[in-house]
Amino acid sequence: MIINSNSHKKRENFLLNEYLKLLNKGIKAQDILVLCQNSKKKKDFIELIKKNMDFGNIGSIKVYSFFGLCYNTIIENWAAIENSIKDDKGKIIPNLCGLEVSQYIFKQCIKEVDFSGYNSKTSLLHQLLRRYSLINLNNLSKDEIEKRAKILSESYSREVNLAINKYKSKSINLRAFDYIRQINLFEYIYKNIKTKFKYVFIDDADEITPAILAYLKAIKPDIKEFYIAYDNMGSSRLGYLGAISVDFEEFLNEKAINLNKDDEKTKNALLIQKSVKNNEQIDLDNIKTKSYLKRHEMIGALSDEIKLLIDKGIRQDEIALITPISDEFLKSMLLNSPKNSALHFNFLAKNEKLNQNKLIGYILELLKIINDKNNQDVSNYVLKGIFIELLNFNHKDAIQIIQEYKLARDFKGANIFDFIKEKNEDNFKKLIELYEKIRFEKLSSQLYELVSSFTKNKSENDTIKINQLLKQIYDFEEVFLNQVSNEELIIQLENTIISENPLSDDEIEQNSIVVSSAQKIIDYSYSVKYMFLLDVTNENWLRQDIGPLYNAWVMQKSWQKESFELSDNIELTKDRNARTLYKLYLLADNITLYSSVYDSLGLENISGIDKYFKHKIDAKKNTTKAITPRPDQKEVLNYKGGLMSVSATAGSGKTTIMLLVVDKLLSGEILDNIESKNIFVLTFMESAARNFRERIKAKYPDLEVLPNISTIHGLALRIIKENNNHSKVGLDYDFDIVDDIKKPLILNEVLTSFSIPGDKSDLYESAISAYKNELSNFGDFDCSNKLFLKVYESYQNKLKEQNLIDYDDLLLLALKLLKENKDVLEYYQNLAKIIIEDEAQDSSFTQQNLIKLLGGKYKNIIRCGDINQAITSTFTNSDVRGFREFIKNSKNVEMDRCQRCATGVLDCANNTVKFAKSKNINAFSSLVMKPVDGVNIVDKKAVYKEIFEDEEEEKRFILSKIQEILKHDNSATFAILTRSNFAINKWDEILKNNSIKTFKNSESLINNPMYRVTLLILEFIVNPYDLKLTNKIALELFELGKYDYNAVKYAQNLDRAIFLKDDYEEQFFWDMNYFLLKTNFSIYDLVWDISSYYFSKSADSVNIPLICAIAQKISNTQKTFENTVKKLREIQYKNNFSNIKFFQNDDNTKKASTVQIMTLHKSKGDEFDYVFIPEMTQENLCFNINEYKLKENSKFIQKVKKEPKSEFELKEEIIEENFRLIYVGITRAKKKLYLTSANRYKYFSKVKDYKPCGLLEGLDEIEAKEVYCEV
Amino acid sequence: MRSLDTFSANSLKVLERDFEEFKNKYIYNLTLFKRDERALLGQKFHSLICAYLKNFDTQKMILELNEKENNIWLKLKEKLEDKKNNFIETEYSFLVKCALNNRADKPYYLTGRFDAIYKDIEGYVIYDWKTLNLPSNPYEDLQSVVYLYCASIIFNDTNIKMRYFSIEKLDFIDVEFKSQTFYKQRTDKVIEKLHLLNNLN
Repeated sequence: MIINSNSHKKRENFLLNEYLKLLNKGIKAQDILVLCQNSKKKKDFIELIKKNMDFGNIGSIKVYSFFGLCYNTIIENWAAIENSIKDDKGKIIPNLCGLEVSQYIFKQCIKEVDFSGYNSKTSLLHQLLRRYSLINLNNLSKDEIEKRAKILSESYSREVNLAINKYKSKSINLRAFDYIRQINLFEYIYKNIKTKFKYVFIDDADEITPAILAYLKAIKPDIKEFYIAYDNMGSSRLGYLGAISVDFEEFLNEKAINLNKDDEKTKNALLIQKSVKNNEQIDLDNIKTKSYLKRHEMIGALSDEIKLLIDKGIRQDEIALITPISDEFLKSMLLNSPKNSALHFNFLAKNEKLNQNKLIGYILELLKIINDKNNQDVSNYVLKGIFIELLNFNHKDAIQIIQEYKLARDFKGANIFDFIKEKNEDNFKKLIELYEKIRFEKLSSQLYELVSSFTKNKSENDTIKINQLLKQIYDFEEVFLNQVSNEELIIQLENTIISENPLSDDEIEQNSIVVSSAQKIIDYSYSVKYMFLLDVTNENWLRQDIGPLYNAWVMQKSWQKESFELSDNIELTKDRNARTLYKLYLLADNITLYSSVYDSLGLENISGIDKYFKHKIDAKKNTTKAITPRPDQKEVLNYKGGLMSVSATAGSGKTTIMLLVVDKLLSGEILDNIESKNIFVLTFMESAARNFRERIKAKYPDLEVLPNISTIHGLALRIIKENNNHSKVGLDYDFDIVDDIKKPLILNEVLTSFSIPGDKSDLYESAISAYKNELSNFGDFDCSNKLFLKVYESYQNKLKEQNLIDYDDLLLLALKLLKENKDVLEYYQNLAKIIIEDEAQDSSFTQQNLIKLLGGKYKNIIRCGDINQAITSTFTNSDVRGFREFIKNSKNVEMDRCQRCATGVLDCANNTVKFAKSKNINAFSSLVMKPVDGVNIVDKKAVYKEIFEDEEEEKRFILSKIQEILKHDNSATFAILTRSNFAINKWDEILKNNSIKTFKNSESLINNPMYRVTLLILEFIVNPYDLKLTNKIALELFELGKYDYNAVKYAQNLDRAIFLKDDYEEQFFWDMNYFLLKTNFSIYDLVWDISSYYFSKSADSVNIPLICAIAQKISNTQKTFENTVKKLREIQYKNNFSNIKFFQNDDNTKKASTVQIMTLHKSKGDEFDYVFIPEMTQENLCFNINEYKLKENSKFIQKVKKEPKSEFELKEEIIEENFRLIYVGITRAKKKLYLTSANRYKYFSKVKDYKPCGLLEGLDEIEAKEVYCEV
Repeated sequence: MRSLDTFSANSLKVLERDFEEFKNKYIYNLTLFKRDERALLGQKFHSLICAYLKNFDTQKMILELNEKENNIWLKLKEKLEDKKNNFIETEYSFLVKCALNNRADKPYYLTGRFDAIYKDIEGYVIYDWKTLNLPSNPYEDLQSVVYLYCASIIFNDTNIKMRYFSIEKLDFIDVEFKSQTFYKQRTDKVIEKLHLLNNLN
C-alpha cells in the first residue's frame, strides 16, 4: 500500500490505522517493522500505538529509526558477524560506539597514509569522516567510488580510499563500529539471514537513503505487505543528505492512494516549489519580508514582533524561528533581551560540543590536573572556576587561596594537591580523599566518582552531558582497553570535532519558542502558526556539502552525469531550496522573512534564499534630500554604459555622485534589466564600503539585497566562498584568513628556521606580498633571490597546514578561479552588468585584472579616482599607471570643483602641483582644483606657513592656535596630521597635558570605549589585587558616564583589593565583585556579560558580538585565559582583527572641539575645519630626488620582482608619492591650514638640526611669483 | 513535572522504595550512567546464551572468555543443551496496557524483557539469567509480579512460572504463578503512590 500526502499528521494517522488493523487481525507486533525517519518520530509513533491500543497485551513492538534498526539487528545477530571475521580472536558483544572513537582511529590512519601536499590535518580528518559517511549512506560500491573520483578529478582519491580501507580493517580488528559503519554490518546480516518481519511500514519514504532502499529490496520477497507513506512532491534530504528519489509505485507495482486535497495551502506550496525552480519570485499574502541593516537590529525587531504576537494571545509553541546561524549572538540576544524575559526559547540543532559546556569544561580541567604527572601550571581563572563551580567556594576565598598557591608554586614549585593538603578546608579534605582514591583509576571511574562527590545540584541537561561524556569514555576504554592513557584521552575529548551524535534527538519542550535549522524542523514535522525565517540573505541557507575530498551531490547513488559544473551546483541548490521552502510552507500558517545587510561579525551577507521572494521596494520611503548636481558632476550622471573614468579632485563630492549613479541604476534609468545584484561597487577601504552600503540602505530601506559593495578583498572572498568555489582551489569550506597575530608568528617561525633575524619579519612580509602580486601579473617566474623563495614556500606550507590563506592569496585564488574555470567566470560576468570602482588610483594590478575579467561581458565600467591622491604605492601593490592608462582609453569626465576647502587652501594645493612640475616631478595630473561659486569660504589667507627655531616654539604655536579657536568656536573640528605613527602619541601627550581633548587613530580597537572597558575588566579578573588597575577602571567608567565621581574617589581610597572589602553600599564594589564571581567557561560568554553590562543600551551594542568573536578567536589559539587577555591588549592598536572590524559610531569619530591626531595617510577621505601639519622637515617629507636616501628594505623588495626598478626609478616614485601625500593633507582643511616646521627637534633624547622640507620655501616662491604677475 | 506512564519492574521497585530516588532517576533523569565489570560480565553471558539458544555457532565468540568464564560457560551449555529446542523466544520485549484500579481513564503500561521463554507440556517458564545473587524474597519481588502478570496476559495462560537462574552456580529458584488480580493490585498500589504524589504537587 502506498500513501501520498504532504501532511505528516495524515500519513501518520493512516499508517497507525493500518497498523492497528493488523494487530486486531491477530498479527504479532514483532512481525511488523515500522521505520521512522528519526528517533523523535519513532517515539511519537510508539506513543500513538500505546494510546490507541486496547488494554492488555500490545506485544513486542518493532518501531525503529533506520540507525536503530541497524543497531538492534547487529546486537541480535552479532554471532553471525563474529563468525565471518577471519581472525583468531572473538568478541561476545561488539563495541557499537560513537563517532569520537572513529575520529581517533581515523587519526591513526592519516598517520599511516602519505597525504603529501594535503597539509591541514584537522581539515583532512573532517573531510575523511564526511566522505566515509557519504559512501556508506549512499551504499556506493568500489566502482561507483572510482567513477566519482574521475568526475571530480580528485587528486587524493587513492590516498583517501587507502585511509578509509585502513580504518575499516582497524574497525573490524577492534570490533568498534560507529553508526555509519554499522550500516555495513547490517547489510551483511540482511543478505545472509532471512528477515523475521512480515510487514513493513515506512513513513517519510521520500527521505530514505540508498542504504535503506537496498535493505527494502533485499527483504521484499519475504514481506507480505509494505505500507509506504510519502510526499511525492518533496524530499528535503534528497541528494544533499543522502536521500534518494524512489519510484515506489514501480517498486510495489501498485498505484499510490492520494490523500492530498486540492486546498489553497497545497496549491501555494506547489507554487513555491515551481517558482523557485523557474526563477520566478514568490509573492503570497501570508509571506512577508523585512530587512534591516545590522543583525542586532533584525533580532531586536523580531523580538518586538514576537512580543506583539504573545500579547495578542498567540502561544509560544505556535511560533518557530528558523535560521542556519543559531549562534551565540542570536542565543544571547534572544535570552538576554528584557522584551523576551517571559519567553522560553528552545534551541534545537544544538551543535554545542561537550567540552563547551561549563560544568563539563571544569570537570575536564580538574581531571587534567588529577592526571597531570608533570605538575604543569594551571591558569588562575580555571582554578577559580574549579573552586567555585565544583568545590563550592565563594569567590573571595577562591581568589585568596589561588594567590597563596601561586606564591607557593613560584617559591617551591608546589603541586596543587600538596598545597591544598595543608589547608584546613572541608571541601579540600573531601577532594584530597577522592584524589587519593581515584588518581590511578580509569578515567571513567575518576569522572563518575568526581561527579558523584562534587556536583550535587546538577540539572537534567548537565546530567545528559555528563552521561554523554561518560559514554564516550566507556567507549574508548572498551575499544582500546588500556592502550589510551587518561591524559591522551582527555586531550582527545577536548579536541573532538564531533559536535552532534546523529542518534541523539532533541526534546521539544512544551510551551516554548523553537529555534531550529530548516532541516530539523522539517525532520520533526513541527507545525506552527507563525514561522520566522531569519538571516535569509546569508549564504549559509545555500551552503552545500562539498569539500576538497568529497561532494555530497556527486556521491549520491543516483548521480548520472559525467561531470560536475558550477551550473549543476546552482541548479541542485535551487532544487533543494525549492523542496525545503515547500516543506517549510506546509508547516506554517504565516511566514515572515527577516534579513540584515550585515551578519553578526559586521561582514556583508552575500545572498541567501531572499532571492526567491518578491520584496516590494518603496522608493518613496526615501527621506534623503534630492541633490542638484553641479555642471561638472552632471556629466557623470549622463552615463549610459561603456567605459568611463571620473577624475575627481578632493572634496568634489564624488561619493555623493557615485551614490546618485547607483540610485539611477537601481531605478533603471541608465541600463535596462538591471537589478541590485548586477551592480558591483568596489571601494579601497572596508569603512568606505560600509559607509556606501549604509547610505544605499538608508535610501532604500526595503532593499534586501544591496548591490555588491565591497573592497576587492571582500569581492575575492565572495568569489571563493560562493557556490562552494572554495573546493575548486583546494580549500576546505571553513578556511580562514590569517590574522594579524598569527601571521607574524608563522613568519617568524619560518625565518628562524632559515636563521634569519626576527626583525626582518616586516620586510619579508612586504616582500612576500610583492612577490604574490608579481605572480598574479606574470605567472610563475624565476625569482633571483633563492633564499627568499625558500622562505616563501615554507610560509605558504605553514599556512596550508592550518587551513589558512593571507589577503594576497585571496586575490590570487579568486583570479585563478576565474581564469581556470570558464563556468565560474561566466557566472560573474553575467552578474556584473556594471562595475563602479572608487579610489581607482590605488588599485593594484591584480585588482585591475579582476575588474577587467568581471566586466568582460558587459564592459560597463566606471573607475573613479584622483591621481593626485595616489598615496599607497610605496607600501602596497597599488599601481597608479593602470588608472592613467584607463583614463586614456575611456571617456574621461573631470570633476574639478572642490567645495570643501577655503580658496586659500585650494591655491596652496594647486601651487603644490605647480611646484612639483617646476621640479620635473610627474606626481600629478593636469587637473586644477576650482572652487564652487558661493560655497567655498573665500579666504586668500587661509594657509599659514612658518618655520620655527625649535620644536618648543612650534608646539606653543599650535597649542595657542587651538586654544584661541576654541574660545570662539567650540563646534570646530581639528586635525593634526603627522608623517609617522610615532608622532601621533607625542602630539597626543602634548595636547592632553594642556587639557585639550584628543582622539587618536580613529579606527584602532582601543579607541572603542567598549573594547577599553572590557579589556580593563578582563585584566582585573586576572589581577584582582591590582589597585591601580581598579582605579583606572573606575576613572574610565566615570568618564563614560557609567558612574558618578564617587566611584572614582572610592577606588582611589581603596586600601586593599576590592573583593576583600565589605562596602555593600557602593555600586562599583558590587559590580567589580560581580565580574570576579563570573566563571564562564567560554570567553565568548564572559566578554558578552561584561560588554553588555555597560554597553547594551549604547550605540556600541552593535559591536558586542564583534568583541566577543575577537576574544573567542584569540582564545582558540591561546593556552590560557591569562594569555588571551594579554593578546587582547597586544592587538589594541590594530584597527581590525581577523577581518572583524568595529562599526564606527559618529560619537566616536566626529567630535567637535576634540583634536584628532592621525597620519597623513589615514586622513584621506576626511575633512576638518582646522588642519595642522607640523614637523615638515626634509627628513619627514623629502621632495628632492638628489637628497633622498633609499632604504635597504626598498631595494630588497625589488629583488623579488620580475622586473626590478632601478634605484633612481624607486626614488622618483617615493618623491612623487610624498608630493601627493602632502597634497592629500592640504586638501583636508576646510577653513584654515597650518604648515609648520622647526630647525631643531629632539628625537630619541638627541637634539639635532633639521632642514625644513623644500615645499614651504617652494610654495612661498610660487606665491610670490603669482603676486608679481597679478601686479 | 514530566508525566510518566510506562514502568519497568526496576522502576517500580525504586518507586516503591524511595520516591525521591524515583523522581531523580526516572522523572528528572539525574542518574549517572555506570558500567561496572560485574554487570558487563552478566551482559556477556546474556548475549552468549541468547546466541546459543538461537542456534548460532558460539565457538568464535567464546574466544573472548578467560578460563574461569569458559568453565562456567561449558557447564551452563551442558545444562541447557537438552532443553534447547524448548526455548521459544529469547530477549523478548513486551508492552502491556493496564488500567489503574480498572479505570479506563487512567492507563499505564508495563514493559520489560524476558531473557528467555521456555515452553513444554507443563507450561511456560520465564527465564531470568542472574550473575548476581538470586532474589531473597522472590515471591514478593516486583520483578516476579510484573513478569508473571504480563506473561499471563501475553500468553493468555496461567500455567506459568518464573525461573531465576544463577549462571555461575547453575542453581535456580522458581516462582509459581499466583493470580492476575494479586499481581495487578500490587502494581496498582505502587503506581497509585505516584498519582497521589503527583496530585499533591
